[in-house]
Amino acid sequence: MSLHCENIVKTYGGKDVLHDVTLDLQPGKIYGLIGRNGAGKTTLLSILSAQNPATRGSVTLDGEPVWEHRQSLAKICFSRELSANAESGLAAMKAKEYLRIAATYYEDWDKALEARLVKLFDLNVKKKLGKMSKGMLSMITIVVALCSKAPYTFLDEPVAGLDVVAREQFYKLLLEEYSSSGRTFVVSTHIIEEAADVLEEVVILHEGKILLKENTQTFVDSAVHVSGKAEEVDAATAGLEVHHPETIGRSKGVTVFLKPGQAVDESRDVSVQPVSLQRAFVALCGEEEARP
Amino acid sequence: MKRNLKFWTRYTWECGGLVLAVAAVLAVLAIFGAEGLDFRTFATRVPYFLCIGAVFCILVGNTGTEVLYVPLLLSMGETRRNVLLGFHYFRLLIIMATTALCALVWLIAPGEVSSIGLRSIPTIVCVLLIASALGSIMGTLFTRWKWAGTALIIVLCGLGGGTMGFAGVSMQDSFFTAKTVELAAHLMSTPWWLAAAVVGSLAVDLAFQWMLLRRQEVKL
Amino acid sequence: MNERLTEQKSIYLQISEMIETDILRGILLEEEQVPSTNELAKLYTINPATAAKGVGLLVDEDILYKRRGIGMFVSKGARDKILTKRKAAFAENHVVPLLAEARSLGISKEELLTMIGERNI
Repeated sequence: MSLHCENIVKTYGGKDVLHDVTLDLQPGKIYGLIGRNGAGKTTLLSILSAQNPATRGSVTLDGEPVWEHRQSLAKICFSRELSANAESGLAAMKAKEYLRIAATYYEDWDKALEARLVKLFDLNVKKKLGKMSKGMLSMITIVVALCSKAPYTFLDEPVAGLDVVAREQFYKLLLEEYSSSGRTFVVSTHIIEEAADVLEEVVILHEGKILLKENTQTFVDSAVHVSGKAEEVDAATAGLEVHHPETIGRSKGVTVFLKPGQAVDESRDVSVQPVSLQRAFVALCGEEEARP
Repeated sequence: MKRNLKFWTRYTWECGGLVLAVAAVLAVLAIFGAEGLDFRTFATRVPYFLCIGAVFCILVGNTGTEVLYVPLLLSMGETRRNVLLGFHYFRLLIIMATTALCALVWLIAPGEVSSIGLRSIPTIVCVLLIASALGSIMGTLFTRWKWAGTALIIVLCGLGGGTMGFAGVSMQDSFFTAKTVELAAHLMSTPWWLAAAVVGSLAVDLAFQWMLLRRQEVKL
Repeated sequence: MNERLTEQKSIYLQISEMIETDILRGILLEEEQVPSTNELAKLYTINPATAAKGVGLLVDEDILYKRRGIGMFVSKGARDKILTKRKAAFAENHVVPLLAEARSLGISKEELLTMIGERNI
């Protein structure tokens, strides 16, 4: 029982956007898909939900193919980020109509939840999508994702444009829905810190490759920030996986990723501090900027 | 498939409103131009307005469908095969409904034009099928190559508008006279090239659509 | 239970410590039901698995126990157990860092004891 993709390659105009991505999503978890702009997050979610074809590779749900397979597709909802700019045909569509079509196509659509969320977010569903703000469009995609009741639900940047109160509301709603249904959610986001505690596992996508897939807590606990006099730091972290060095004068700070059984040599005169998911992510994926 | 049928049936129903609206506008124009209106004669002419309305609706509706509804339904987890089937179901439904309505009016209001009309139904179906294929090719072009689609839309709309204008002018004095009978009589026989055009346009359309749908990427 | 979470420590440890503190302060009484993991998850906006891990720690230490089909309850004697545990950890958590700081500032043992003697507990 899982959503599985194997050796996915996606090429646009001769350029690889995804290189050989293999991923297994277990049911009943909230996954965070994080990565920098252009890392391939939306492309990966589109391919997992068969909205876009892969150049190579396969996607299966419980062993059945997803591509052109209605039974599999019915279990997946990828509520896309809506742009509804003037070029999009959606601009002239009323929110009400968009929700009605979603209600027609998702078998287990929750009408009561839809009504509750529309009221909670204070959405004017008679408004055309083209006339809505970024935040309101995010709310619409959240309504579709939660009400679809699909066992595998993907949300792409669901909190983009939402204010801090609405973001908190969203995470609480997500947890409420998750606790009561045990559905699997994949949430891609740039605002990592707020999402960190909600995500059971993180999948880090970097330049079209899966850099890491791990329990969030385990990953965060494995990373520490070590700082002090440069020689002391180097000695304390010798033989360890060191990222993102920053120096100022004689002082040096590094982020260390510890493998099971490894530890920083604390007999050295250094400070060892825990890091947040966001800092750990920057340490892993922000190397280019750190290099002179 | 049930959900698919539900969606497309509802969509046909909504488009039906457009067909009736266009037909109503044409009918009102015709009434203003007519001298001494006889209800029964008027009734026998109504189906032609309906057909013009249907051609208009199919051309516009098909383009809209391909640009908007095809990616939208794919984004909601419908298979490409079902989207194609649903789309053809919609086109067939609207053609069948229009022809059935025409036949019904002619059966209820008998007259010289009515009998001609009933015998020209094959031609009418052919014209509607060609219009639907053209509309869909237009939509495909518009989605794939914006400029080509736009150019085709301008040409077709110009042609359509011109034809309608021409029909409107000729209607002013001739629609309730014997000339109509003469004009309508042309539609009674279905020439071989029309039938060939149906087959040809449908084949091109199907090939185009599948080419688009098979590897289509959803963008909303 | 209404303290805020910080980034300095693993979330599940903070959850179990908060429940312990509430038991010490008499906010949660012995033989009383504690909030479910789903309630905790929603309150702190954290993953239920993390909340469950925090609660699980306390179950392992017999501070909480599970009543099948009802939920988690505070065990009899939980308060004493937490007191003993925290007292045992007091020296390690508070005295050792105090001495380390004193050492780097050059504060003598006598000075330190005077400082403590001047204050009420």
